[in-house]
Amino acid sequence: MNIWKISIKNLKSKSFYTVLSIVILALSITLLLGIQQIKSSFEYQMENNLGDIDLVIGAKGSPLQLVLASILHLDNPTGNINYAEAKKLAKNRLIKTAVPISYGDNYKGYRIVGTTDEFYNFYNAELAEGKFTEKSSQVVIGATLAKNLNLKLGDTFKSSHGLVDNAIDVHDDELIVVGILKPTQKVIDRLIVTNLETVWDVHDHDDEEHTNSHEAEHNDSETHEVHEHDNEHHEHDEHDEHDHETTDEAHHEHENHHEEDKEITSLLVQFRSPVALLNFPRKVNESSNLQAAIPKYELDRLYEFTSIGFKTITWIAYLILIISGITIFVNLYKMVKERAFDLAILRTYGASNLQLIKMIAYEGFTVAIIAFLAGFLFVKVGLTLVLKTARLGFKQNIIKTLTFEDGMQVAILVFIMVTLSIALAIYPILKMNISTILSNEK
Amino acid sequence: MIQTQNLTFKYKNQKTTIGFPDIHLKENEHLLILGKSGIGKTTLLHLLAGLLKPETGNLTINNTNINTLSSSKLDKFRGKNVGLVFQQKHAIQSLSVIENLQARLFFSNKKENQNKLNDLLEQLNLTTCKNNKINQISEGQLQRLGIALSVVHNPQVILADEPTSSLDDENCEAVINLLKQQAEKNKAHLIVITHDQRIKSFFENTMTL
Repeated sequence: MNIWKISIKNLKSKSFYTVLSIVILALSITLLLGIQQIKSSFEYQMENNLGDIDLVIGAKGSPLQLVLASILHLDNPTGNINYAEAKKLAKNRLIKTAVPISYGDNYKGYRIVGTTDEFYNFYNAELAEGKFTEKSSQVVIGATLAKNLNLKLGDTFKSSHGLVDNAIDVHDDELIVVGILKPTQKVIDRLIVTNLETVWDVHDHDDEEHTNSHEAEHNDSETHEVHEHDNEHHEHDEHDEHDHETTDEAHHEHENHHEEDKEITSLLVQFRSPVALLNFPRKVNESSNLQAAIPKYELDRLYEFTSIGFKTITWIAYLILIISGITIFVNLYKMVKERAFDLAILRTYGASNLQLIKMIAYEGFTVAIIAFLAGFLFVKVGLTLVLKTARLGFKQNIIKTLTFEDGMQVAILVFIMVTLSIALAIYPILKMNISTILSNEK
Repeated sequence: MIQTQNLTFKYKNQKTTIGFPDIHLKENEHLLILGKSGIGKTTLLHLLAGLLKPETGNLTINNTNINTLSSSKLDKFRGKNVGLVFQQKHAIQSLSVIENLQARLFFSNKKENQNKLNDLLEQLNLTTCKNNKINQISEGQLQRLGIALSVVHNPQVILADEPTSSLDDENCEAVINLLKQQAEKNKAHLIVITHDQRIKSFFENTMTL
């Protein structure tokens, strides 16, 4: 027999209150840990996906949309920009690398991104098997995608137009898988990467058909305008204002293989020095039709919007934590008060005040430790289930395992609260007058 | 050996001080203290057990002046040397019969001896219910457990507070006999405090408050 055993027997003898205390405390711990994990996973995922991208240049519109669309591949693009103009910007000596990306098609909901080989460097992506793309119609796929769609090297598929899976607007060109990337836990895991030509070719063929079938409706002036434009396009800065004509232009230029007049969706930029962030974006925004957005800044803005939700749930979790603290306190206090005679008897057995305090403390901490472990388990199992059913993370595994620090933070909080409850509950023991308690019982 | 000298006690918030007659018990001597309700019998018992501090006077149990002990030393001394029997039979509710006895031994820093425990349970006819919780045993069993708890650690003094007042004649005699028998086995002093005149004949030494 020892104090531990007596504490455990005490807990067992009032099992209903013990279980109640554990459940309430476990619930609040689950909430706190869960929120922390989702929040840190969310932020980690966002920041991780930025890679080394300092700036995105795209068509005018919402900067947040541009970042979400071009970096996280969550939203629709703001529009297209002229490749030649983008290239001209990229020649700035402040820029270390500028990677053009072009997209607008998908395969079963996974985006097809036309880009250059430098794109992989942003994510430190390496090939698991196969090779990088060498010519048009070849694609390299991300790890998540390869797993979910069960695609292997040499497999072919046809992309559909737009960014949402559909069976109606399917392109004729077959794309062939030549490489599969290793998992990176970044956005590239769920992308189909190809070169720019693939995207252009797919759309040019479509445009060709489109143009041929409607040739009768097109008048000569448009063709004329295109030729005129062709001659002086190097001096023409307001190129993409002729938006309604671009499809025809693209068609003609493709025949002449003038890459400079192609369009891309956006340009991902990495600077030589962060100092460039001070002036370069403003210059782009003021002096051209292009828009420059700083991903870090836009994402910070996004956190501000979403943090209200996180804050609310966090406060609710703290509230439950306080309630569970009160429950533990009430149970211990009740035990001390209702069992004053038991405690007095233990004193006559030779138990010291310290031993009685230990007994109460063991009971409180046993409840707390069981609740903490239960909470930890609930979070692990619960979040996995929730993410599986709710398909959060946009077809990507976003869960970041809880760090030791995250767990410790909650553990310390719970520890402080339980200690406080115990300290309040043992107060009557210190004031206990054994003689009076034993006499009054008669 | 138990000896008291000029013990007085003052209740909190009361002006009057009550004094108690001196007690002097030699080895193997027992004592019955008789007195009406409210005269301070329990107070005297608690003084003897070291649960209350006297206003003046000395209390010596086997050459230890327990008035001079610090409260933690007093806890230890009480645990080791004093066995208490209460009128309201009581044991720790969350523990079984045997676990109560084991807890009693633990707090008095005495080693568990399974054979001795079984013997004691046998003597007090508690073997059949030794694994039962306190709320699952009968009144008589609880009474006998109370006696077992007061002697399991081989104390030098057994202090019994009204151990028989709620019992019929037959059980009254049985309980007193058990207490005396256990006291003699342990070579302990038995001091019974009661207003129950029936047990007068069982004691050579009596004292009236």
